[in-house]
Amino acid sequence: MKHLLPAVLAVVHWGSPNGVTQQSHYVYWLWELTYYIAVPLGAIVIGLILWSAVRYRERPGHPRIPRQFQYHIPLEIFYTVVPIALVTVVFVYTYRAEDRVDNVAANPALVVRVDAFRWGWEFSYPNGYQVLGSVSAEPSINSTDLPVLTLPAGETVQINLFSDDVNHSFYVPAFLFKRDAIQGVNNSFDINIDPSVAGQRFIGECTQFCGVYHPFMRFWVQVMPKGQFNTWLAHQHGLHMNTIGR
Amino acid sequence: MTVVQERAGRYEAPERRLVEVVPGPRARGVLAYVTSTDHKQIGMNYMVTSFIMFLIAGFMAVLMRVQLSVPNNNFVDLNTYNQLFTMHGSLMLYLFLGPFAFGMANYLVPLQIGAPDMAFPRFNAFSYWLYLGGCITMTSGFLTSSGAANWGWFAYAPLTESIYSPGPGADLWIAGVVLAGFSGIFTAVNVISTVFTLRAPGMIMFRMPIFTWNQLVTAFLVLLAFPVLTAALVLLWCDRHLGTHFYDPTHGGQPILYQHLFWFFGHPEVYILALPFFGIATEVISTFSRKPVFGYKGMVFATLSIGGLSMGVWAHHMYTTGAVLLPFFAILTLLISVPTGIKFFNWTGTMFRGSVRLDSPMLFALGFLVNFLVGGFTGVMLGQPPIDFQVHDTYFVVAHFHYVLLGGSVFAAFAGIHYWFPKFTGKKLDERLAKLTFVLMFIGFNLTFFPQHDLGLRGMQRRIAVYPAGQGWDFLNMLSSIGAFITAFSMLPFLLNVWVSLRSSKKAGPNPWDGMTLEWAAESPPIEHNFAYLPPIRSERPVWDLNHPDHLTLPHGRHRNQLVTVGTGGTAGQAAVRAGAGNGGGGDGHADGGGASGQTGGGASGRAGGGGNGHAAPAQGGEGP
Repeated sequence: MKHLLPAVLAVVHWGSPNGVTQQSHYVYWLWELTYYIAVPLGAIVIGLILWSAVRYRERPGHPRIPRQFQYHIPLEIFYTVVPIALVTVVFVYTYRAEDRVDNVAANPALVVRVDAFRWGWEFSYPNGYQVLGSVSAEPSINSTDLPVLTLPAGETVQINLFSDDVNHSFYVPAFLFKRDAIQGVNNSFDINIDPSVAGQRFIGECTQFCGVYHPFMRFWVQVMPKGQFNTWLAHQHGLHMNTIGR
Repeated sequence: MTVVQERAGRYEAPERRLVEVVPGPRARGVLAYVTSTDHKQIGMNYMVTSFIMFLIAGFMAVLMRVQLSVPNNNFVDLNTYNQLFTMHGSLMLYLFLGPFAFGMANYLVPLQIGAPDMAFPRFNAFSYWLYLGGCITMTSGFLTSSGAANWGWFAYAPLTESIYSPGPGADLWIAGVVLAGFSGIFTAVNVISTVFTLRAPGMIMFRMPIFTWNQLVTAFLVLLAFPVLTAALVLLWCDRHLGTHFYDPTHGGQPILYQHLFWFFGHPEVYILALPFFGIATEVISTFSRKPVFGYKGMVFATLSIGGLSMGVWAHHMYTTGAVLLPFFAILTLLISVPTGIKFFNWTGTMFRGSVRLDSPMLFALGFLVNFLVGGFTGVMLGQPPIDFQVHDTYFVVAHFHYVLLGGSVFAAFAGIHYWFPKFTGKKLDERLAKLTFVLMFIGFNLTFFPQHDLGLRGMQRRIAVYPAGQGWDFLNMLSSIGAFITAFSMLPFLLNVWVSLRSSKKAGPNPWDGMTLEWAAESPPIEHNFAYLPPIRSERPVWDLNHPDHLTLPHGRHRNQLVTVGTGGTAGQAAVRAGAGNGGGGDGHADGGGASGQTGGGASGRAGGGGNGHAAPAQGGEGP
């Protein structure tokens, strides 16, 4: 029982976690909107299905032929129009959220170049500082020795994403966001991390299958308070290398 | 030669039905399997072969779930795991679900429209052999020293270029998909030709059963989608072997081009794998509610619009590439939920005030409805680009498409197997074992995939062979693996059921479920060229009209004029007993008028008459006993 309760609570975890960036709050809000339309609607439809099946069930051995009605035009119009209206509402809010999540500011406070490759990450800062982490030959998945992408909180950061070989994807679950790194596609996006999570560390992953060591392509996102970040960056030079999973 | 009843004035010569039979002994067993061009035999070939593929791919899924049951597991190595998920997906999508639907189409479409066979029987056999070749080619990758393909069922370039994925397993995969693809294209040509040219007299388009309608729309989607896939893979093969650079970015090729080509096939493919099974669920729900499909025409239009919309949403698999116009694909994707929603109301409306028999096919159909609804809602979520940015390529997506394809399509496939098994074999499946199969499958399936939604929201990405402990993933993964074992275990009562039922001596008779559509007028299993006689076709459920002439479908707005009757007036197995009663008052003045009444092979049924109902099929083996 002592172990069961936390286990059950771990399963009963309704809906999405919230994110830690400004952009992610729009995503979360859109999630909530959809979720709270979908759950009652789903409950109604499943309820109707099960109720019809149980209420009108035929007792075995007592066949019964019901009325053979087939069309009810007003009802059919109703159940066509209502979903169209719902879809329109959802689309309007989707469009607005997407506009904000995808917005790339003209003058970001910091631009970081991220290169994904088989298998690892390279983070390049404007002052020439680079972090390069690549997967070791026999990696352990439990290792926490990962390349660190250090970012300031409360600032607009633009990430320019590139791939050196196959397709990869830059995914930070806490940002509720990912973007693919594909050769031939120049991908840029903005993130603005909430100041409230300064000092925290979040896991990042590759989510586009890229070969044998795909699961090991992980990294840390270290969030620093704005002022501290600038001092920190001023003291970093050259190339810092990690071996992932050693 | 199509006869459209309403235009009968223009049509004078009587329909010549294909009933000549070459005399002599018939091939049986293996010889029939190899040589037959009969649509029923080919349909069975498809279904049995694809079901074997289903079991193999399911076994791979179990291996994967063992690997993922605990963090940092070493049950299989990384490369083997990648081969497993690649081949699991490829077998399920290219070699099981689609071909199984083609098998159903082969067997049932000619029966449902009153045709003697498919339009091109030998072409039909050719497609089966191509498909079997594809199966063998693709799976033989496991026998090569470097193993099978290990790049996912979508084979994104440039990972699939020879420098990243050398080895014959990869090429065998490409060849296998191309072979299976051609088989699909040829089957589609056959289905379309059959539906357009071989419908029985009276079987106008709007009297075709929903299953046939859905197979027709599916066949068009196959024709539009599969050639694109084939082309994309041929280009990929050229990249690998002929030194071209279609997808190779280092020489100016475009990896994103491959994604567009692939998903231009891949999204219609999703509906190719869903629409036939919607059709099965519709037939089952209608029969087991003893009512016509509610909103039949609306449902046909819904299917057509799903088919149309599905051609315009491919890039919703590519939201995170940053290279597609998001609002366009988002609105079209969301719009698909409208016709799909209509179908749900049609299904519910069919059961509403019906007389619902909760036999095993109906249970599977209900399971389909519930599971598919969950998959539909997560589909609407994934259709919104911002939410897709969050959960794309995580286990949320894995949960979503398993709810659609396993919880939806495969449950409906099992509904179909249990429903038509008496038609295919002449024997009914045992109900108790069938219900056990359903309960195990339903519990196992939901236990496997419901936790995966949450895993995705917690950031577990797809296609990882190992994951670290301490991320809140361990317990959910264990639950999921237990569920997978229960799902796998549910196949045992099913296989046992098939074995036991085939050996039983109890005959099912031509119409054990009080079915409504034409296939239930044929013998079980149907004779060569299917029908010795056809009941008059005056609605989309001619067999029901024949058996229950007092309970014809009500016209619009007259819902209260018909009494509910207790007792069906005929027991199971006596299909066509009310010969001649036809459609009370249904004779629409068509001159033919003659009854075709014939005693068929060994069945107890076999008497039907056209009593003033016009066009019963002529040349049907003699005038009465």
